[in-house]
Amino acid sequence: MLKIKKENINTLLEELMKDYQVYAPVKNGSKAAFKVIENPDDIFTGHVKSEYSPKSVFFPQSEVLFEYSKEGVSIPEKKEKPYLLWGVRNCDTKSIRMLDKVFGNARQAPDKDMYKDPYWKQKYDTSIIFNFACNAPLTTCFCNWFGSGPFDESGSDIFVVETKDDLIFKGISEKGKELLKKLSVSEISDKKDEEAVSELKEKAVSMMPEVTDISALYEKLPKLWNEPIWQEISSKCVNCGACAFICPTCHCFDVSDEGKNGKGKRVRLWDSCMFPIFTMEASGHNPRGNSVDRVRQRVMHKFNYFKDNYGTHLCTGCGRCVVVCPVNLDIRDVIKDIINYELNKKVPADV
Amino acid sequence: MCNGYLPIQMRVDKVLTENPDKTLKTFELSFLKDNDRENFKYMPGQFCEFSITGKGESPFGIASSPTEKDILKFTVNRTGSVTKEIHYLRPGDIVGVRGPLGNWYPVGKFKGGDVVIIGGGFAFTTLRSLLVYMLEHRSDYGKITVIYGARNPDLFIYKEELEAWDKRNDLILHLTIDKAVEGWTKLCGFVPTVTKEVKLDPKSWAVVCGPPVMIKFTLPVLKEIGFNDGMVYTSLERRMKCGIGKCGRCGIGSKYVCIDGPVFSLEELKNIPEAF
Amino acid sequence: MLQELKDTVKKLISEKKVDIVIGWKRGTLPGSASPLFIQTQEDADELIFDSTCRNNLTAYLTKDKRKMSKDYKKTGIIVKGCDARSVVLYAVENQVKRENIFLIGVPCEGVYEKKKIRAAVDGKEILGIKKSGNAVTITGRDFEIAVPDKDVLSDSCIYCRYPDALEYDVFIGEPRKEVDVKDEFAAVKEFEKKTSEERWEYIKSEYSKCIRCYACRNVCPSCYCNECFVDQNNPQWIGKTPEMTDSIIFHLIRNLHTAGRCVDCGSCVSACPAEIDLRIMSKKVEKEIKERFDYTAGLDINEKPVMATFCEHEKQDFIMS
Repeated sequence: MLKIKKENINTLLEELMKDYQVYAPVKNGSKAAFKVIENPDDIFTGHVKSEYSPKSVFFPQSEVLFEYSKEGVSIPEKKEKPYLLWGVRNCDTKSIRMLDKVFGNARQAPDKDMYKDPYWKQKYDTSIIFNFACNAPLTTCFCNWFGSGPFDESGSDIFVVETKDDLIFKGISEKGKELLKKLSVSEISDKKDEEAVSELKEKAVSMMPEVTDISALYEKLPKLWNEPIWQEISSKCVNCGACAFICPTCHCFDVSDEGKNGKGKRVRLWDSCMFPIFTMEASGHNPRGNSVDRVRQRVMHKFNYFKDNYGTHLCTGCGRCVVVCPVNLDIRDVIKDIINYELNKKVPADV
Repeated sequence: MCNGYLPIQMRVDKVLTENPDKTLKTFELSFLKDNDRENFKYMPGQFCEFSITGKGESPFGIASSPTEKDILKFTVNRTGSVTKEIHYLRPGDIVGVRGPLGNWYPVGKFKGGDVVIIGGGFAFTTLRSLLVYMLEHRSDYGKITVIYGARNPDLFIYKEELEAWDKRNDLILHLTIDKAVEGWTKLCGFVPTVTKEVKLDPKSWAVVCGPPVMIKFTLPVLKEIGFNDGMVYTSLERRMKCGIGKCGRCGIGSKYVCIDGPVFSLEELKNIPEAF
Repeated sequence: MLQELKDTVKKLISEKKVDIVIGWKRGTLPGSASPLFIQTQEDADELIFDSTCRNNLTAYLTKDKRKMSKDYKKTGIIVKGCDARSVVLYAVENQVKRENIFLIGVPCEGVYEKKKIRAAVDGKEILGIKKSGNAVTITGRDFEIAVPDKDVLSDSCIYCRYPDALEYDVFIGEPRKEVDVKDEFAAVKEFEKKTSEERWEYIKSEYSKCIRCYACRNVCPSCYCNECFVDQNNPQWIGKTPEMTDSIIFHLIRNLHTAGRCVDCGSCVSACPAEIDLRIMSKKVEKEIKERFDYTAGLDINEKPVMATFCEHEKQDFIMS
């Protein structure tokens, strides 16, 4: 493991900024979001986790697919340095790796490039993620339900632990190890540092909530399809898109042409399965016409469908939706309610 | 890098109005570039994203058959904002097309077997593609039966071709309308009822496409006759936006209609409550 | 008071005077409450009412998402002053029949604003919030601070003249009566003193934070259109991007659509994940309506909606000649 003194972080970042476009948490209004930094001092570390997830680095809320005019279509040429993400928590690192399964690959035809997303790949394939351990997880964190934890290194390119005076670096991926070799400001860490790291880890892990066993979730969900539990869960949902837009793994989008007089751009925009128009067809028919259907869809997609297709839950337990939901529809409660739901129990006739 | 979001440009060559109300039009398109023409290889049942830049993009099943060289046909029902704009198109206009997308009717599996095609209203588009394809390779297939229903005689699409198919003796065509009208000499009654009456061989392959209510009532009839779920196919419609399995709008269960379909066997749909 | 509230609700349920009662229960986050739908006596045991009961629950009466007023013959609902005004608005606008709603009024001492609490502790996570007199103690993992309650109460509450339900079927607790807030439009007047450039800069910087999640619209009791103009695509009125111009159009049109109809409950402000100052424009519109038409939304169930009436003597100086 390597380390640098905290006072040298800016020097390191300046060095990295020569070769990379560096994204890090910066102040966005009263909250933190991942944005490209022009100066190491732009970085804002005051919040444990950026309130807006870093998915927007690779999958912005609005992204131009191409420009069109009467002459035809053209893709705006982008010459960018590779992306480097600094200060990412493991829940978000994992989310980005999940999204790559969707955008970077083609599950039904892995060899066909037309099914891979070029806009994602252009940014993602050369990117590198500095995953920072969480010394003080929030009470809304529940990554440990998904087998992860505040000091989970998996998925990182470079794993970073912030100790009292230093940042300790550990290369995880080949890409990460290569980069660490090239950095000029680092020194080798010693046993004392390792002790400090394990001490921090122990403390952080102890701050995590009790683990809820979610192993039954995937198989149980389809059996609940017609159960009244969905009425109960969805009753308070107001069908806004706050949870989906704040979620690091939600990735559904809309495509819209923006322009006039034959000139403009086709853009893709984040969308949410909570919105009634998400599935509305031109005929007026809506396959998911009510809130119950839509809330069920979101839960099914996260904890059943995605696992069917990609082998993992589409949730990393970051807890952002818990914080942001205007009616406190807490996904942790939803998961627990589903797990504890008794199938075949008698339902009063008037429900 | 290959870009699945980028349409190729095609020219509208012919516009055919299919019904007196002018709500259904068939557009015949040709390729502008030679390499687009060469690269565009498709099978019956696949779909395209059809766009007019600035107005938006919508998915449509390809109505032409791969055996009809160098052109693509789409039949468009005017319902929303994009289809309205498409209906304004005139010969010579340039449009964007992405595709071919999705899977196709398993014509390879059908080889040597009898095939029943059941369609309703303007959802006959990819069924036309399938039928034309099979007629071009007629000797590959056994008995071909077509049941095609519409609310009234005006609402059949491809009327000239229907007449020609009706005259052929290597194909059985049952045309039916919901309620008798003067001058109509073919069948009367809903598609499910006709399906029951015409005595189909349950060992056949079946392909069913039409409005949701038609599909809903036809499938149990096929089951009753004894068709095997694995041999009955349908093509699903959802609001596909990206067409390449990313945008999530066409999800039914864990399947995405755009990449896992649009063609599914009943066997595959059995455990997906959202499918119908 | 809470026990009386629970007993009243239980009685209503057991005597079948209502099919359902909407109230609040303790939320899963410190200092939060969550909507509670009460259909049995046991459900009522979860009821709470305090300064965390932020949501204007009347939104559940009309929204496409649940349409309580259609699902149930008679709906009971626990209302603060602003919430009750929403029900008056619904009745005036023929969205619900007043006789189908049973209003349980409660005395409101104002509710906490999430945004202000976060600001008071620099965005750190809070673990507890406790009120004692006019002070509020906020605790976190490594801090405990006490602030005057006006620092964390919603602006809508600080400037609220009608904390008690004016319209109710039963009132639990001691009403606070109409409050003299001196100048409810103080913030708007401050804003108006700025130059137009400064005002534009402020509006731009606030609305550029919008992520177009529509939480503001979806929690708003006055926004009950089955199809919102932003969702229409034939014609498409505005772009769907989160770019500032599109976002500003969305918010300003929403302000106009709720002109003379906004009860200043503050639901939009607290629902906004981007913490946009949504109130400045809605209050500005409210002030205009007050000055021009001497009208305040949701006060009089027999008065026609201000935007649906016209009198010849009304000021018309806004019409350009």
